[in-house]
Amino acid sequence: MIEANGLSKAFKTRTGTVQAVSDVGFSARDGEITGLLGPNGAGKTTTLRMLYTLMSPDRGSVRVDGIDAARDPDAARRRLGVLPDARGVYKRLTARENIAYFGRLHGMSDADIRERTRALSQALEMDDILDRQTEGFSQGQRTKTAIARAVVHDPRNVILDEPTNGLDVMTTRAMRGFLRQLREEGRCVIFSSHIMQEVAALCDRIVVIAKGTVVAQGTPDELRTLTGEENLEDAFVRVIGSEEGLYA
Amino acid sequence: MNPMFVVMMKELVDLARDRRTVLISLLMGPILIVGLVVGMGAVMQKKMTTQMEKTLEVPLVGAERAPNLVAFLAEHNIEATEPPEDAETAIAQQDADVILRISPNYAEDWRAGKPALVEILHDSTRDDSRIPVARVSSVLRGYAQQVGALRLLSRGVDPGVGMPLIPAPVDLATPMSRVGQALAFLPYFLIMSAFLGGAYLVIDVTAGERERQSLEPLLATPASRRAIMSGKILAACVFGVMSLVLMLAAFKAAFWLAPAGVKVDVSLLAMAKLLLILLPTVLFGTCLLTVISASVKSVKEAQSYMSLLFLLPMLPTFFLLISPVKNELWMLAVPFLSQNQMIMMVLRGETLTMLDWSLYTAVGVAVSAALWWIAARMYHREHLAVSG
Repeated sequence: MIEANGLSKAFKTRTGTVQAVSDVGFSARDGEITGLLGPNGAGKTTTLRMLYTLMSPDRGSVRVDGIDAARDPDAARRRLGVLPDARGVYKRLTARENIAYFGRLHGMSDADIRERTRALSQALEMDDILDRQTEGFSQGQRTKTAIARAVVHDPRNVILDEPTNGLDVMTTRAMRGFLRQLREEGRCVIFSSHIMQEVAALCDRIVVIAKGTVVAQGTPDELRTLTGEENLEDAFVRVIGSEEGLYA
Repeated sequence: MNPMFVVMMKELVDLARDRRTVLISLLMGPILIVGLVVGMGAVMQKKMTTQMEKTLEVPLVGAERAPNLVAFLAEHNIEATEPPEDAETAIAQQDADVILRISPNYAEDWRAGKPALVEILHDSTRDDSRIPVARVSSVLRGYAQQVGALRLLSRGVDPGVGMPLIPAPVDLATPMSRVGQALAFLPYFLIMSAFLGGAYLVIDVTAGERERQSLEPLLATPASRRAIMSGKILAACVFGVMSLVLMLAAFKAAFWLAPAGVKVDVSLLAMAKLLLILLPTVLFGTCLLTVISASVKSVKEAQSYMSLLFLLPMLPTFFLLISPVKNELWMLAVPFLSQNQMIMMVLRGETLTMLDWSLYTAVGVAVSAALWWIAARMYHREHLAVSG
């Protein structure tokens, strides 16, 4: 369970202050997939970075399973599995070593890491690449490694920034299957995407973000009712007020 | 396992996979130092023996005016040769190290019993002329004394009357201190190896990791930023110490290979002392580079600081060249000057007191701790993880 309340974040740049996120609030429940949908530059990544304590919000709060992320960031991070926008897989280590490194940082025993790696490798269909150095991996193989690494400690909550970005059709399907599996295991899954079809195919709840604020949120049905549009795509266009970023 | 050690192990494994970089950064310095010491030792020794013992050829202007002097010089292994047309130019153009010029009035003055002028032309800023000038001067002095004594005797005066004083320099330089002087560049090498031995790794694990965008997932784990940073510093220190030990081994090997006569104290005890002197330097260099790497935007920017860092350990050496000062306790509290002094003292076979050691180590550790603290603050800055 992840709750965001009134999150705001501004960045100072050379040309002045940019309000990246203002007053973003939503809650993502266990056993559900929550999608953060919005055009490029809407503030999705910044919102996610505040959720996993990489950035501290100027205003607002984040609670992970009831833990205040500002007060106890270490405990919050322990309950999170994070796939950032930048995958950052170590290319001189094998996929297995990449996964084990993060397992150890989470304080897992070698036996637990081995068992968990086996299970994840099976779920993500990456047995054939597990013991190869990741240098030269395809985008999909890198993403699989990064996801396995992110959830090695069996977290209750999983945050993924554009998990299907740059993946081919087959890998995207596999990835969707994996996200559904995470939901069936009762986890709270949040992912961001700028692709409407992607969010429509997976999410139980959708939070639409545009220009740093939440413009609409709810189940796909609620969004359709809210906008009076039959088609989710038209609903999306209506709430963000433009067709920008709709097609990948 | 403590996250700090997890990070350290990972960084060392990661580095070890990059075999070519490891080999270059570990072996280049040692190979260079062996070559330098053996090569320079051989050249130095050859120069000393040839300049001291070989027949010295000295252009002599006006040789015909002083045949006895020429004969005396020849007896002392100094051969008078044809002078160049313009003696001053010949010295300036380095055609000759030293030229003797017998004054046109030499014969008259000699006969009149007045001091006759013999000029020794040389350029004192040229190292090569030092030994020839010393040889020529001492032979001329000998000749003057001998003739003076004879003149006094012929007048019935005890020659001792004209010599109220015999200056007798007693050189207390030990063979070790003499070589130490010739090898003033060695401390610089050792300090540099300790100071920047792990530079590649430090820049790679902070600025590089950030540039490759792998820092963000790492910082999303529960491991504290301080532990992650300390693990990286520790890994660089382990690598730095490895490179230092290899350097010292090369140092020992170099002096074992070097020609006899070029000997410094390279006993195991001296090597252990050098290692102890340089350990705080490894920590200091690693922490400083971590601060730099955490504050810059890219690896390239971090590397642009390297030329400055290469210069830093040289500054005290320059200072000492211009204004040589005697060893004092306060110097052991000045970074780089202290390493320089301590290493020279060990190589010259001098004793370091307990006070020397404690002051030196305390300052080294304190400076490193301050830098570590600054680096930790840098690691807590928000935009560290976010590149671009």
